[in-house]
Amino acid sequence: MRAMSDDDRRPPEAAGDLMTSDREVFANHMALIAEMTREFSASRDSQTVSRHGLARITTFLGAEASSLFLIDEEGHDLVCAACFGPVDVTGLRIPLRKGIVGRAVVLNKTQMVRDARRDPDFGGQDIAAETGFVTKSVLVAPLSLGDERLGAIEIINKASGDGLFDEHDRTLLEVLAGSAALAIDNFRLTQRLVEQERSRHELTLAAEIQRSLLPGEAAPDYPVHGVNVPARLVSGDFFDVVEEAPGDRIWFALGDVAGKGMNAAILMTKAASLFRCLSKTIASPGRLLAAVNAELCETGSHGMFVTMVAGFYDIWSGRVRIANAGHEPPLFLPAGADEFLAVPALAPPLGIADDIVGWDGYPEHDIDLGDGALYVFTDGLTEAYTEAEGRATLGEDGTRRLIRDVRGLPPPQRLAAMLDRVRRPDRPLRDDVTILVVEHGGPR
Amino acid sequence: MTVDITSRGGARVAQLSGEVDLERSPAVRRALLDALGAKAPLVVDLSGVSYIDSSGIASLVEAYQTARKQGTAFVLCAVSPAALRVMQLARLDKVFDIRATLDDALAAV
Repeated sequence: MRAMSDDDRRPPEAAGDLMTSDREVFANHMALIAEMTREFSASRDSQTVSRHGLARITTFLGAEASSLFLIDEEGHDLVCAACFGPVDVTGLRIPLRKGIVGRAVVLNKTQMVRDARRDPDFGGQDIAAETGFVTKSVLVAPLSLGDERLGAIEIINKASGDGLFDEHDRTLLEVLAGSAALAIDNFRLTQRLVEQERSRHELTLAAEIQRSLLPGEAAPDYPVHGVNVPARLVSGDFFDVVEEAPGDRIWFALGDVAGKGMNAAILMTKAASLFRCLSKTIASPGRLLAAVNAELCETGSHGMFVTMVAGFYDIWSGRVRIANAGHEPPLFLPAGADEFLAVPALAPPLGIADDIVGWDGYPEHDIDLGDGALYVFTDGLTEAYTEAEGRATLGEDGTRRLIRDVRGLPPPQRLAAMLDRVRRPDRPLRDDVTILVVEHGGPR
Repeated sequence: MTVDITSRGGARVAQLSGEVDLERSPAVRRALLDALGAKAPLVVDLSGVSYIDSSGIASLVEAYQTARKQGTAFVLCAVSPAALRVMQLARLDKVFDIRATLDDALAAV
Protein backbone atom coordinates (compact mmCIF):
# COMPACT_ATOMS: atom_id res chain seq x y z
CA MET A 1 0.00 0.00 0.00
CA ARG A 2 1.61 3.26 -1.03
CA ALA A 3 1.37 6.52 0.91
CA MET A 4 -1.16 9.07 -0.23
CA SER A 5 0.38 11.80 -2.36
CA ASP A 6 -0.89 15.31 -2.88
CA ASP A 7 -1.84 14.28 -6.42
CA ASP A 8 -4.35 11.81 -5.06
CA ARG A 9 -6.11 14.43 -3.07
CA ARG A 10 -6.17 17.04 -5.82
CA PRO A 11 -9.61 17.21 -7.39
CA PRO A 12 -9.53 16.44 -11.12
CA GLU A 13 -11.08 19.84 -11.88
CA ALA A 14 -8.07 21.60 -10.45
CA ALA A 15 -5.85 20.40 -13.28
CA GLY A 16 -4.77 22.65 -16.13
CA ASP A 17 -5.97 22.35 -19.74
CA LEU A 18 -8.74 19.91 -20.64
CA MET A 19 -6.64 17.29 -22.45
CA THR A 20 -4.07 17.12 -19.69
CA SER A 21 -6.87 17.11 -17.11
CA ASP A 22 -8.69 14.22 -18.79
CA ARG A 23 -5.51 12.21 -19.10
CA GLU A 24 -4.57 12.92 -15.51
CA VAL A 25 -8.03 12.03 -14.29
CA PHE A 26 -7.87 8.79 -16.23
CA ALA A 27 -4.42 7.92 -14.92
CA ASN A 28 -5.40 8.77 -11.35
CA HIS A 29 -8.58 6.76 -11.64
CA MET A 30 -6.73 3.74 -13.02
CA ALA A 31 -4.16 3.98 -10.24
CA LEU A 32 -6.88 4.07 -7.59
CA ILE A 33 -8.82 1.22 -9.22
CA ALA A 34 -5.69 -0.91 -9.41
CA GLU A 35 -4.81 -0.14 -5.82
CA MET A 36 -8.31 -0.81 -4.46
CA THR A 37 -8.74 -3.98 -6.48
CA ARG A 38 -5.45 -5.26 -5.15
CA GLU A 39 -6.45 -4.38 -1.64
CA PHE A 40 -9.94 -5.88 -1.93
CA SER A 41 -8.68 -9.11 -3.42
CA ALA A 42 -6.05 -9.52 -0.69
CA SER A 43 -8.55 -8.77 2.07
CA ARG A 44 -9.11 -11.21 4.90
CA ASP A 45 -10.91 -8.76 7.12
CA SER A 46 -13.90 -7.03 5.52
CA GLN A 47 -14.27 -4.37 8.23
CA THR A 48 -10.77 -2.93 8.04
CA VAL A 49 -10.72 -3.01 4.29
CA SER A 50 -14.13 -1.38 4.02
CA ARG A 51 -13.18 1.43 6.36
CA HIS A 52 -9.83 2.00 4.74
CA GLY A 53 -11.28 1.65 1.25
CA LEU A 54 -14.04 4.16 1.99
CA ALA A 55 -11.53 6.66 3.37
CA ARG A 56 -9.40 6.30 0.26
CA ILE A 57 -12.30 6.68 -2.20
CA THR A 58 -13.85 9.59 -0.29
CA THR A 59 -10.58 11.49 -0.18
CA PHE A 60 -9.89 10.78 -3.82
CA LEU A 61 -13.31 12.07 -4.88
CA GLY A 62 -12.84 15.13 -2.69
CA ALA A 63 -16.00 14.32 -0.71
CA GLU A 64 -16.90 14.75 2.92
CA ALA A 65 -18.25 11.38 4.01
CA SER A 66 -19.13 7.91 2.81
CA SER A 67 -20.75 4.72 3.96
CA LEU A 68 -21.03 1.10 2.93
CA PHE A 69 -24.48 -0.45 3.31
CA LEU A 70 -25.06 -4.20 3.09
CA ILE A 71 -28.36 -6.06 2.89
CA ASP A 72 -28.95 -8.04 6.10
CA GLU A 73 -29.35 -11.83 6.15
CA GLU A 74 -33.15 -11.66 6.15
CA GLY A 75 -33.04 -9.36 3.12
CA HIS A 76 -35.27 -6.75 4.83
CA ASP A 77 -32.87 -3.97 5.79
CA LEU A 78 -29.73 -2.23 4.70
CA VAL A 79 -27.19 -2.04 7.49
CA CYS A 80 -24.23 0.34 7.53
CA ALA A 81 -21.20 -1.97 7.70
CA ALA A 82 -18.58 0.80 7.64
CA CYS A 83 -18.38 4.54 7.22
CA PHE A 84 -15.95 7.42 6.89
CA GLY A 85 -16.53 11.05 7.82
CA PRO A 86 -17.53 13.30 10.69
CA VAL A 87 -20.56 11.23 11.80
CA ASP A 88 -20.31 7.53 12.65
CA VAL A 89 -23.40 5.75 11.38
CA THR A 90 -21.97 2.19 11.57
CA GLY A 91 -24.79 -0.20 12.44
CA LEU A 92 -27.49 2.19 11.19
CA ARG A 93 -30.36 0.13 9.82
CA ILE A 94 -32.71 1.39 7.12
CA PRO A 95 -35.53 -0.53 5.43
CA LEU A 96 -34.44 -1.87 2.05
CA ARG A 97 -36.88 0.24 0.07
CA LYS A 98 -36.21 3.51 1.91
CA GLY A 99 -33.91 6.38 1.10
CA ILE A 100 -31.66 7.15 -1.83
CA VAL A 101 -29.44 4.18 -0.93
CA GLY A 102 -32.45 1.85 -0.99
CA ARG A 103 -33.44 3.23 -4.38
CA ALA A 104 -29.98 2.50 -5.80
CA VAL A 105 -30.15 -1.07 -4.46
CA VAL A 106 -33.70 -1.81 -5.61
CA LEU A 107 -33.18 -0.33 -9.08
CA ASN A 108 -29.62 -1.71 -9.19
CA LYS A 109 -28.63 1.64 -10.65
CA THR A 110 -26.28 4.41 -9.57
CA GLN A 111 -28.03 7.46 -8.09
CA MET A 112 -26.44 10.91 -8.44
CA VAL A 113 -28.37 13.56 -6.50
CA ARG A 114 -27.48 17.26 -6.56
CA ASP A 115 -29.40 18.25 -3.46
CA ALA A 116 -30.46 15.36 -1.29
CA ARG A 117 -32.81 17.52 0.77
CA ARG A 118 -35.02 18.03 -2.28
CA ASP A 119 -35.10 14.33 -3.10
CA PRO A 120 -38.44 12.71 -2.15
CA ASP A 121 -36.65 9.58 -0.92
CA PHE A 122 -34.11 11.39 1.25
CA GLY A 123 -34.13 9.99 4.80
CA GLY A 124 -31.18 11.72 6.46
CA GLN A 125 -33.20 14.42 8.27
CA ASP A 126 -32.84 12.65 11.63
CA ILE A 127 -29.07 12.49 11.31
CA ALA A 128 -29.00 16.18 10.42
CA ALA A 129 -31.17 17.04 13.44
CA GLU A 130 -29.08 14.92 15.79
CA THR A 131 -25.60 15.77 14.59
CA GLY A 132 -25.86 18.91 12.54
CA PHE A 133 -24.35 17.08 9.57
CA VAL A 134 -26.08 18.36 6.45
CA THR A 135 -26.25 16.15 3.39
CA LYS A 136 -26.13 18.00 0.11
CA SER A 137 -24.88 16.10 -2.95
CA VAL A 138 -24.98 12.33 -2.94
CA LEU A 139 -23.55 9.62 -5.18
CA VAL A 140 -24.68 6.03 -4.54
CA ALA A 141 -23.46 3.01 -6.51
CA PRO A 142 -25.15 -0.35 -5.98
CA LEU A 143 -23.07 -3.38 -5.01
CA SER A 144 -24.32 -6.31 -7.01
CA LEU A 145 -23.21 -9.45 -8.82
CA GLY A 146 -25.52 -9.90 -11.75
CA ASP A 147 -29.01 -9.91 -10.27
CA GLU A 148 -27.81 -10.57 -6.76
CA ARG A 149 -27.96 -7.40 -4.66
CA LEU A 150 -25.42 -7.02 -1.86
CA GLY A 151 -25.80 -3.36 -0.85
CA ALA A 152 -24.41 0.01 -1.93
CA ILE A 153 -21.61 2.52 -1.45
CA GLU A 154 -22.75 6.04 -0.70
CA ILE A 155 -20.48 9.09 -1.09
CA ILE A 156 -21.73 12.34 0.44
CA ASN A 157 -21.03 16.04 -0.20
CA LYS A 158 -18.53 16.71 -2.88
CA ALA A 159 -16.41 19.39 -1.27
CA SER A 160 -14.38 20.47 -4.26
CA GLY A 161 -15.32 22.27 -7.45
CA ASP A 162 -18.97 23.20 -7.72
CA GLY A 163 -19.89 20.76 -4.94
CA LEU A 164 -21.54 18.34 -7.33
CA PHE A 165 -20.49 14.85 -8.41
CA ASP A 166 -19.87 14.42 -12.12
CA GLU A 167 -19.81 11.60 -14.68
CA HIS A 168 -16.12 10.87 -13.93
CA ASP A 169 -17.03 10.30 -10.30
CA ARG A 170 -19.96 8.12 -11.25
CA THR A 171 -17.88 5.89 -13.55
CA LEU A 172 -15.09 5.60 -11.01
CA LEU A 173 -17.44 4.67 -8.17
CA GLU A 174 -19.25 2.13 -10.35
CA VAL A 175 -15.97 0.40 -11.22
CA LEU A 176 -14.87 0.39 -7.57
CA ALA A 177 -18.29 -0.87 -6.49
CA GLY A 178 -17.94 -3.78 -8.90
CA SER A 179 -14.60 -4.71 -7.46
CA ALA A 180 -15.87 -4.26 -3.87
CA ALA A 181 -18.89 -6.48 -4.60
CA LEU A 182 -16.57 -9.24 -5.75
CA ALA A 183 -14.42 -8.81 -2.63
CA ILE A 184 -17.48 -8.96 -0.34
CA ASP A 185 -18.76 -12.05 -2.15
CA ASN A 186 -15.34 -13.70 -1.81
CA PHE A 187 -15.19 -12.80 1.83
CA ARG A 188 -18.64 -14.30 2.50
CA LEU A 189 -17.70 -17.45 0.61
CA THR A 190 -14.56 -17.78 2.72
CA GLN A 191 -16.58 -17.25 5.89
CA ARG A 192 -19.00 -19.98 4.82
CA LEU A 193 -16.11 -22.34 4.17
CA VAL A 194 -14.61 -21.57 7.57
CA GLU A 195 -18.02 -22.19 9.15
CA GLN A 196 -18.38 -25.47 7.27
CA GLU A 197 -14.93 -26.53 8.36
CA ARG A 198 -15.79 -25.70 11.97
CA SER A 199 -19.05 -27.72 11.75
CA ARG A 200 -17.18 -30.62 10.18
CA HIS A 201 -14.64 -30.50 12.99
CA GLU A 202 -17.42 -30.49 15.62
CA LEU A 203 -19.13 -33.36 13.84
CA THR A 204 -15.87 -35.31 13.88
CA LEU A 205 -15.58 -34.73 17.63
CA ALA A 206 -19.20 -35.85 18.11
CA ALA A 207 -18.50 -38.96 16.05
CA GLU A 208 -15.46 -39.73 18.21
CA ILE A 209 -17.54 -39.40 21.38
CA GLN A 210 -20.19 -41.67 19.86
CA ARG A 211 -17.62 -44.29 18.94
CA SER A 212 -16.22 -44.16 22.46
CA LEU A 213 -19.70 -45.06 23.78
CA LEU A 214 -19.72 -48.31 21.80
CA PRO A 215 -18.36 -51.40 23.53
CA GLY A 216 -14.86 -52.41 22.53
CA GLU A 217 -14.16 -55.57 20.60
CA ALA A 218 -14.94 -58.66 22.68
CA ALA A 219 -12.94 -61.90 22.87
CA PRO A 220 -14.06 -64.36 20.15
CA ASP A 221 -15.71 -66.68 22.70
CA TYR A 222 -17.65 -63.89 24.44
CA PRO A 223 -21.45 -64.41 24.08
CA VAL A 224 -22.31 -60.97 22.65
CA HIS A 225 -20.69 -59.27 19.66
CA GLY A 226 -21.72 -56.18 17.77
CA VAL A 227 -20.75 -53.82 14.94
CA ASN A 228 -21.91 -50.34 14.02
CA VAL A 229 -21.04 -48.59 10.76
CA PRO A 230 -22.48 -45.09 10.36
CA ALA A 231 -23.61 -44.04 6.88
CA ARG A 232 -22.40 -40.53 7.66
CA LEU A 233 -20.00 -39.22 10.28
CA VAL A 234 -22.39 -39.65 13.18
CA SER A 235 -24.81 -42.51 13.69
CA GLY A 236 -28.48 -42.72 14.58
CA ASP A 237 -27.99 -46.39 15.53
CA PHE A 238 -26.41 -47.78 18.66
CA PHE A 239 -25.72 -50.99 20.47
CA ASP A 240 -24.38 -51.63 23.91
CA VAL A 241 -23.37 -54.55 26.09
CA VAL A 242 -23.37 -54.32 29.88
CA GLU A 243 -22.25 -57.13 32.12
CA GLU A 244 -23.79 -57.42 35.57
CA ALA A 245 -21.00 -57.30 38.13
CA PRO A 246 -21.00 -59.70 39.82
CA GLY A 247 -23.75 -61.42 37.97
CA ASP A 248 -25.17 -64.02 35.75
CA ARG A 249 -26.41 -61.80 33.02
CA ILE A 250 -25.03 -59.95 30.07
CA TRP A 251 -27.38 -57.14 29.04
CA PHE A 252 -27.50 -56.02 25.43
CA ALA A 253 -29.45 -53.43 23.48
CA LEU A 254 -29.66 -52.21 19.91
CA GLY A 255 -31.56 -49.16 18.77
CA ASP A 256 -32.31 -47.05 15.73
CA VAL A 257 -33.41 -43.42 15.88
CA ALA A 258 -35.85 -42.29 13.16
CA GLY A 259 -34.11 -39.77 10.95
CA LYS A 260 -30.45 -39.07 10.38
CA GLY A 261 -27.84 -36.49 11.22
CA MET A 262 -26.96 -34.62 14.36
CA ASN A 263 -30.38 -34.56 16.05
CA ALA A 264 -30.76 -38.33 15.57
CA ALA A 265 -27.23 -38.81 16.93
CA ILE A 266 -28.02 -36.80 20.05
CA LEU A 267 -31.23 -38.75 20.71
CA MET A 268 -29.32 -41.97 20.09
CA THR A 269 -26.76 -40.97 22.72
CA LYS A 270 -29.56 -40.26 25.18
CA ALA A 271 -31.29 -43.60 24.59
CA ALA A 272 -27.97 -45.45 24.87
CA SER A 273 -27.10 -43.70 28.15
CA LEU A 274 -30.54 -44.47 29.57
CA PHE A 275 -30.12 -48.15 28.68
CA ARG A 276 -26.69 -48.34 30.28
CA CYS A 277 -27.89 -46.67 33.44
CA LEU A 278 -31.23 -48.51 33.79
CA SER A 279 -29.83 -51.95 32.99
CA LYS A 280 -28.05 -51.77 36.34
CA THR A 281 -31.24 -51.25 38.32
CA ILE A 282 -34.14 -52.80 36.39
CA ALA A 283 -34.27 -56.59 36.16
CA SER A 284 -36.74 -56.87 33.28
CA PRO A 285 -36.07 -55.83 29.65
CA GLY A 286 -39.77 -54.96 29.15
CA ARG A 287 -39.84 -52.65 32.14
CA LEU A 288 -36.47 -51.20 31.17
CA LEU A 289 -37.86 -50.21 27.75
CA ALA A 290 -40.95 -48.74 29.45
CA ALA A 291 -38.67 -46.62 31.66
CA VAL A 292 -36.63 -45.42 28.65
CA ASN A 293 -39.91 -44.64 26.85
CA ALA A 294 -41.22 -42.60 29.78
CA GLU A 295 -37.95 -40.65 29.93
CA LEU A 296 -37.89 -39.94 26.18
CA CYS A 297 -41.57 -38.90 26.16
CA GLU A 298 -41.05 -36.55 29.06
CA THR A 299 -38.51 -34.44 27.22
CA GLY A 300 -40.04 -34.67 23.74
CA SER A 301 -38.02 -34.83 20.56
CA HIS A 302 -40.06 -33.38 17.67
CA GLY A 303 -41.57 -36.67 16.60
CA MET A 304 -38.22 -38.48 16.55
CA PHE A 305 -38.64 -41.92 18.00
CA VAL A 306 -36.38 -44.86 18.77
CA THR A 307 -36.97 -48.46 17.80
CA MET A 308 -35.10 -50.62 20.28
CA VAL A 309 -34.51 -54.17 21.34
CA ALA A 310 -33.19 -54.77 24.84
CA GLY A 311 -32.52 -58.00 26.63
CA PHE A 312 -30.14 -60.10 28.63
CA TYR A 313 -28.37 -63.39 28.18
CA ASP A 314 -28.25 -65.61 31.24
CA ILE A 315 -24.84 -67.25 31.16
CA TRP A 316 -25.91 -70.23 33.32
CA SER A 317 -29.19 -71.14 31.69
CA GLY A 318 -28.20 -70.11 28.15
CA ARG A 319 -31.52 -68.32 27.82
CA VAL A 320 -32.20 -64.91 26.41
CA ARG A 321 -35.05 -62.64 27.50
CA ILE A 322 -35.76 -59.76 25.14
CA ALA A 323 -38.33 -57.05 24.54
CA ASN A 324 -38.91 -55.32 21.23
CA ALA A 325 -40.15 -51.74 20.93
CA GLY A 326 -41.18 -51.28 17.31
CA HIS A 327 -37.89 -52.66 15.98
CA GLU A 328 -37.15 -54.83 12.96
CA PRO A 329 -37.77 -58.40 14.22
CA PRO A 330 -34.58 -60.04 15.57
CA LEU A 331 -33.93 -63.48 14.06
CA PHE A 332 -33.02 -66.61 15.99
CA LEU A 333 -31.33 -69.41 14.05
CA PRO A 334 -31.34 -72.63 16.11
CA ALA A 335 -28.32 -74.92 15.80
CA GLY A 336 -28.58 -77.21 12.80
CA ALA A 337 -31.84 -75.63 11.60
CA ASP A 338 -32.46 -73.63 8.44
CA GLU A 339 -35.60 -71.89 9.57
CA PHE A 340 -35.50 -68.76 11.65
CA LEU A 341 -37.65 -67.79 14.55
CA ALA A 342 -38.52 -64.09 14.32
CA VAL A 343 -39.21 -61.95 17.37
CA PRO A 344 -41.75 -59.39 16.18
CA ALA A 345 -42.45 -56.11 17.93
CA LEU A 346 -45.60 -56.28 19.99
CA ALA A 347 -45.53 -52.62 20.98
CA PRO A 348 -44.57 -49.37 19.23
CA PRO A 349 -41.21 -47.55 19.31
CA LEU A 350 -40.00 -45.44 22.24
CA GLY A 351 -40.59 -41.72 22.59
CA ILE A 352 -44.04 -41.52 20.99
CA ALA A 353 -46.51 -41.80 23.86
CA ASP A 354 -46.04 -42.62 27.53
CA ASP A 355 -49.27 -44.60 27.97
CA ILE A 356 -48.55 -47.18 25.27
CA VAL A 357 -47.73 -50.01 27.66
CA GLY A 358 -48.92 -50.87 31.16
CA TRP A 359 -46.98 -51.10 34.41
CA ASP A 360 -45.45 -54.44 33.40
CA GLY A 361 -43.77 -52.83 30.43
CA TYR A 362 -43.13 -54.05 26.88
CA PRO A 363 -43.96 -57.71 26.16
CA GLU A 364 -41.00 -60.04 26.60
CA HIS A 365 -39.88 -63.17 24.75
CA ASP A 366 -37.76 -65.97 26.17
CA ILE A 367 -35.47 -67.92 23.87
CA ASP A 368 -33.40 -70.95 24.78
CA LEU A 369 -30.33 -70.31 22.65
CA GLY A 370 -28.81 -73.78 22.89
CA ASP A 371 -26.07 -73.74 20.26
CA GLY A 372 -28.04 -71.40 18.04
CA ALA A 373 -27.53 -67.67 17.59
CA LEU A 374 -29.76 -64.62 17.90
CA TYR A 375 -29.27 -61.78 15.41
CA VAL A 376 -30.48 -58.26 16.15
CA PHE A 377 -29.96 -55.66 13.41
CA THR A 378 -31.19 -52.34 12.07
CA ASP A 379 -33.01 -51.78 8.79
CA GLY A 380 -29.76 -50.27 7.52
CA LEU A 381 -28.84 -53.93 6.88
CA THR A 382 -32.07 -55.14 5.26
CA GLU A 383 -32.46 -51.98 3.19
CA ALA A 384 -28.81 -51.75 2.14
CA TYR A 385 -28.06 -51.77 -1.60
CA THR A 386 -26.27 -54.90 -2.70
CA GLU A 387 -25.18 -53.77 -6.17
CA ALA A 388 -23.01 -50.88 -7.37
CA GLU A 389 -26.09 -49.42 -9.09
CA GLY A 390 -29.83 -49.80 -9.06
CA ARG A 391 -32.25 -50.16 -6.19
CA ALA A 392 -31.82 -53.86 -5.31
CA THR A 393 -31.63 -54.20 -1.52
CA LEU A 394 -30.62 -57.11 0.69
CA GLY A 395 -34.19 -57.51 1.90
CA GLU A 396 -35.56 -59.89 4.52
CA ASP A 397 -34.92 -63.06 2.53
CA GLY A 398 -31.44 -61.87 1.58
CA THR A 399 -30.67 -61.19 5.24
CA ARG A 400 -31.75 -64.73 6.19
CA ARG A 401 -29.67 -66.22 3.37
CA LEU A 402 -26.69 -64.14 4.39
CA ILE A 403 -26.90 -65.31 8.02
CA ARG A 404 -27.12 -68.95 6.89
CA ASP A 405 -24.10 -68.43 4.62
CA VAL A 406 -21.86 -67.10 7.38
CA ARG A 407 -23.10 -69.17 10.34
CA GLY A 408 -19.94 -71.34 10.44
CA LEU A 409 -17.59 -68.40 11.09
CA PRO A 410 -16.52 -67.21 14.55
CA PRO A 411 -18.61 -64.16 15.61
CA PRO A 412 -16.13 -61.34 14.77
CA GLN A 413 -15.48 -62.76 11.27
CA ARG A 414 -19.18 -63.51 10.84
CA LEU A 415 -20.14 -59.88 11.47
CA ALA A 416 -17.34 -58.67 9.18
CA ALA A 417 -18.60 -61.00 6.41
CA MET A 418 -22.14 -59.68 6.85
CA LEU A 419 -20.90 -56.11 6.57
CA ASP A 420 -18.86 -57.00 3.50
CA ARG A 421 -22.04 -58.03 1.71
CA VAL A 422 -23.59 -54.56 2.04
CA ARG A 423 -20.55 -52.28 2.16
CA ARG A 424 -19.46 -51.42 -1.35
CA PRO A 425 -16.37 -49.34 -2.08
CA ASP A 426 -18.21 -47.74 -5.01
CA ARG A 427 -21.40 -46.80 -3.19
CA PRO A 428 -21.92 -45.09 0.17
CA LEU A 429 -24.15 -46.81 2.72
CA ARG A 430 -27.79 -45.75 2.56
CA ASP A 431 -28.25 -45.87 6.30
CA ASP A 432 -26.30 -46.78 9.43
CA VAL A 433 -25.79 -50.54 9.76
CA THR A 434 -25.71 -52.13 13.20
CA ILE A 435 -25.68 -55.86 13.93
CA LEU A 436 -25.58 -57.74 17.21
CA VAL A 437 -25.17 -61.48 17.64
CA VAL A 438 -25.84 -63.37 20.86
CA GLU A 439 -24.83 -67.01 21.29
CA HIS A 440 -23.42 -69.34 23.90
CA GLY A 441 -19.78 -68.74 22.92
CA GLY A 442 -16.87 -70.80 24.20
CA PRO A 443 -16.89 -74.21 25.90
CA ARG A 444 -19.65 -75.09 28.35
CA MET B 1 -43.64 -34.18 -3.10
CA THR B 2 -46.62 -31.92 -2.39
CA VAL B 3 -48.88 -31.24 0.58
CA ASP B 4 -52.36 -29.87 -0.15
CA ILE B 5 -54.44 -28.74 2.78
CA THR B 6 -58.20 -28.41 2.29
CA SER B 7 -61.24 -28.16 4.54
CA ARG B 8 -63.90 -30.85 4.56
CA GLY B 9 -66.78 -30.12 6.88
CA GLY B 10 -65.28 -29.31 10.24
CA ALA B 11 -62.05 -31.17 9.50
CA ARG B 12 -58.91 -30.32 7.63
CA VAL B 13 -57.50 -32.75 5.13
CA ALA B 14 -53.80 -32.91 4.28
CA GLN B 15 -53.14 -34.72 1.03
CA LEU B 16 -49.54 -35.92 0.74
CA SER B 17 -48.09 -37.16 -2.48
CA GLY B 18 -44.75 -38.30 -3.87
CA GLU B 19 -41.77 -39.45 -1.81
CA VAL B 20 -41.60 -38.40 1.82
CA ASP B 21 -37.94 -38.80 2.75
CA LEU B 22 -35.30 -37.06 4.83
CA GLU B 23 -35.10 -34.18 2.39
CA ARG B 24 -38.84 -33.61 2.05
CA SER B 25 -40.16 -34.48 5.48
CA PRO B 26 -39.38 -31.05 7.03
CA ALA B 27 -41.89 -29.50 4.58
CA VAL B 28 -44.47 -32.16 5.51
CA ARG B 29 -43.85 -31.52 9.21
CA ARG B 30 -44.29 -27.77 8.77
CA ALA B 31 -47.50 -28.18 6.73
CA LEU B 32 -49.08 -30.62 9.20
CA LEU B 33 -48.18 -28.50 12.23
CA ASP B 34 -49.53 -25.39 10.48
CA ALA B 35 -52.75 -27.24 9.64
CA LEU B 36 -53.10 -28.29 13.29
CA GLY B 37 -52.84 -24.62 14.25
CA ALA B 38 -56.54 -24.37 13.28
CA LYS B 39 -57.30 -26.72 16.23
CA ALA B 40 -59.62 -28.72 13.96
CA PRO B 41 -59.49 -32.51 13.41
CA LEU B 42 -56.81 -33.39 10.88
CA VAL B 43 -57.00 -36.22 8.38
CA VAL B 44 -53.79 -37.10 6.53
CA ASP B 45 -54.50 -38.74 3.20
CA LEU B 46 -51.47 -40.81 2.16
CA SER B 47 -52.96 -42.25 -1.03
CA GLY B 48 -50.49 -40.37 -3.24
CA VAL B 49 -47.40 -41.31 -1.24
CA SER B 50 -45.08 -43.62 -3.17
CA TYR B 51 -42.41 -43.89 -0.47
CA ILE B 52 -42.11 -42.84 3.15
CA ASP B 53 -39.00 -43.30 5.29
CA SER B 54 -38.52 -43.08 9.05
CA SER B 55 -38.03 -39.30 8.97
CA GLY B 56 -41.39 -39.04 7.14
CA ILE B 57 -43.00 -41.19 9.79
CA ALA B 58 -41.35 -38.98 12.45
CA SER B 59 -43.20 -35.99 10.90
CA LEU B 60 -46.48 -37.90 11.26
CA VAL B 61 -45.56 -38.82 14.85
CA GLU B 62 -44.85 -35.19 15.72
CA ALA B 63 -48.20 -34.13 14.23
CA TYR B 64 -49.89 -36.96 16.19
CA GLN B 65 -48.21 -35.80 19.42
CA THR B 66 -49.21 -32.17 18.79
CA ALA B 67 -52.82 -33.13 18.01
CA ARG B 68 -52.98 -35.29 21.13
CA LYS B 69 -51.62 -32.51 23.29
CA GLN B 70 -54.23 -30.05 22.05
CA GLY B 71 -57.01 -32.62 22.11
CA THR B 72 -57.84 -32.72 18.39
CA ALA B 73 -58.40 -35.86 16.34
CA PHE B 74 -55.58 -37.03 14.03
CA VAL B 75 -56.35 -39.77 11.54
CA LEU B 76 -54.34 -41.33 8.70
CA CYS B 77 -56.06 -42.82 5.69
CA ALA B 78 -55.41 -44.56 2.38
CA VAL B 79 -51.98 -45.76 3.50
CA SER B 80 -50.24 -47.72 0.73
CA PRO B 81 -49.70 -51.45 1.41
CA ALA B 82 -45.90 -50.93 1.61
CA ALA B 83 -46.15 -48.06 4.08
CA LEU B 84 -48.83 -49.89 6.07
CA ARG B 85 -46.55 -52.89 6.37
CA VAL B 86 -43.73 -50.71 7.75
CA MET B 87 -46.15 -49.18 10.25
CA GLN B 88 -47.51 -52.57 11.28
CA LEU B 89 -44.04 -54.06 11.72
CA ALA B 90 -43.11 -51.18 14.02
CA ARG B 91 -46.51 -51.46 15.72
CA LEU B 92 -47.26 -47.88 14.80
CA ASP B 93 -50.75 -49.12 13.94
CA LYS B 94 -51.21 -49.14 17.72
CA VAL B 95 -50.32 -45.44 17.80
CA PHE B 96 -52.05 -43.99 14.76
CA ASP B 97 -55.75 -44.16 14.00
CA ILE B 98 -55.54 -45.59 10.47
CA ARG B 99 -58.63 -45.77 8.21
CA ALA B 100 -58.96 -47.37 4.80
CA THR B 101 -60.45 -44.43 2.91
CA LEU B 102 -60.80 -40.67 3.22
CA ASP B 103 -64.55 -41.06 3.76
CA ASP B 104 -63.96 -43.54 6.58
CA ALA B 105 -61.49 -41.12 8.14
CA LEU B 106 -63.86 -38.17 7.86
CA ALA B 107 -66.64 -40.24 9.40
CA ALA B 108 -64.28 -41.11 12.28
CA VAL B 109 -63.49 -37.50 13.19
